[in-house]
Amino acid sequence: MESDLVLVIVVATALAFDFTNGFHDTANVVATGISTRAVPPRTAVTGAALLNFVGAFISLEVAATVASGIVEADLITPTIVFAGLIGAITWNLITWWYGLPSSSSHALIGGVVGAAVAAEGTQALVSGGLLGKVIVPALIAPVLAFAVAGLGILLAYRIIGRLRPGSVNRGFRLGQLASGGLLALSHGTNDAQKTMGIITLALIAHGDISPDDFHVPTWVVFSAATAIALGTYAGGWRIIRTLGTRIIKMDPAQGFSAQGAGATVILASSHFGYPLSTTHTISGAIMGAGAAKRLSAVRWGVAGNIVTAWVLTIPAAGAMGGVVYGVTRIFGTGALGPVVVSILVIGLIGAIFGRRFREAPGPPPPIPVGES
Amino acid sequence: MIATVVDWAALRDVVIASLAAGVGVTVAFSLAIMGLTRFAERRRDDRPLEAWAYAGLAIAGLAVSGTAVVYGIILMTSK
Repeated sequence: MESDLVLVIVVATALAFDFTNGFHDTANVVATGISTRAVPPRTAVTGAALLNFVGAFISLEVAATVASGIVEADLITPTIVFAGLIGAITWNLITWWYGLPSSSSHALIGGVVGAAVAAEGTQALVSGGLLGKVIVPALIAPVLAFAVAGLGILLAYRIIGRLRPGSVNRGFRLGQLASGGLLALSHGTNDAQKTMGIITLALIAHGDISPDDFHVPTWVVFSAATAIALGTYAGGWRIIRTLGTRIIKMDPAQGFSAQGAGATVILASSHFGYPLSTTHTISGAIMGAGAAKRLSAVRWGVAGNIVTAWVLTIPAAGAMGGVVYGVTRIFGTGALGPVVVSILVIGLIGAIFGRRFREAPGPPPPIPVGES
Repeated sequence: MIATVVDWAALRDVVIASLAAGVGVTVAFSLAIMGLTRFAERRRDDRPLEAWAYAGLAIAGLAVSGTAVVYGIILMTSK
């Protein structure tokens, strides 16, 4: 009975995390299309939410990696998964407070790894899983997206350079309907699967699924898809209000190239089960498209912040996950620990948001690149 | 250690697929736009042969772009 309560808390926390992931990442998915006027804001946000939902059903490779490729599923308990999630949420709140462009995906994986190591030691880690399936691919993806977008736009400019801008811009705006849609689809595919993987890991830990018979239940896919789509839709309205003040100024050809590069890198990585930071990958693609036209178009300071956040996130979220696991275990192995920690975290989030919104109406979302 | 735990073959495939699809679609779509724009210009200038050649380029560019996107999605869902 107590373990059932812990499982319910874990599933609810994971879905809440998925919702905030969609909410936070809406800017990355729709900003390029809106800023080049390829899509009206309302259509962009609604379309992105729908395609996030559909994208979650495309593949389960990333979910399999998160559930069984990084930590030893048979050593994990629902409390470890809970501590990992709370560690990730705590790190996300800290980076949000200080304006660091950190990755929710890295925080999630770091949190679970940290909690697992705190509970079971390093034997809880799949040998080489974190390095081979998370760290190295996550390092390559933004650089690859930068190169693909940069090379693509350089070649495109050679082809369209002598044409009248009016017809070229109209053409690429139409193309952005497809490339933006593909980007939203890829975002749903990679990010929703991380939540599916975490919930599946909790179900394995609870004994509902055998580690030897890995599968993601349909209700898990559907609920994760719904949570990220609702988050994207809810986050979008905030973006619409702020886009007028901090906009990425790109031409439609750059937007097409950036969206296409981001989508192809995320989709190809998802195909092989790599849980990427979609934020960092899309940022890399936008920077590549901007740098190919003019190096000074890129806010290199923001790029430096991304690198800093990249280096810090997994160890810091891991430390948070470990600490949360330790705090939870003070209350024993039952449901009391997760219940107490949940109440504390909800109170902390309420206090942080209350203070932030009393001080200021809220910062605009960090948009990594562009000529402002 | 990195050499043994990283699946370099899979990462190589990710790099090749991303470069081929990302750059390829942008180039193909740019050719389609160039074809359409030149087609309209040549038709206005009453140069039908050139106009239809550019129309062919536009159709080929659009076909390559569309096929690449559809093939990519089919590949994703088939695994």
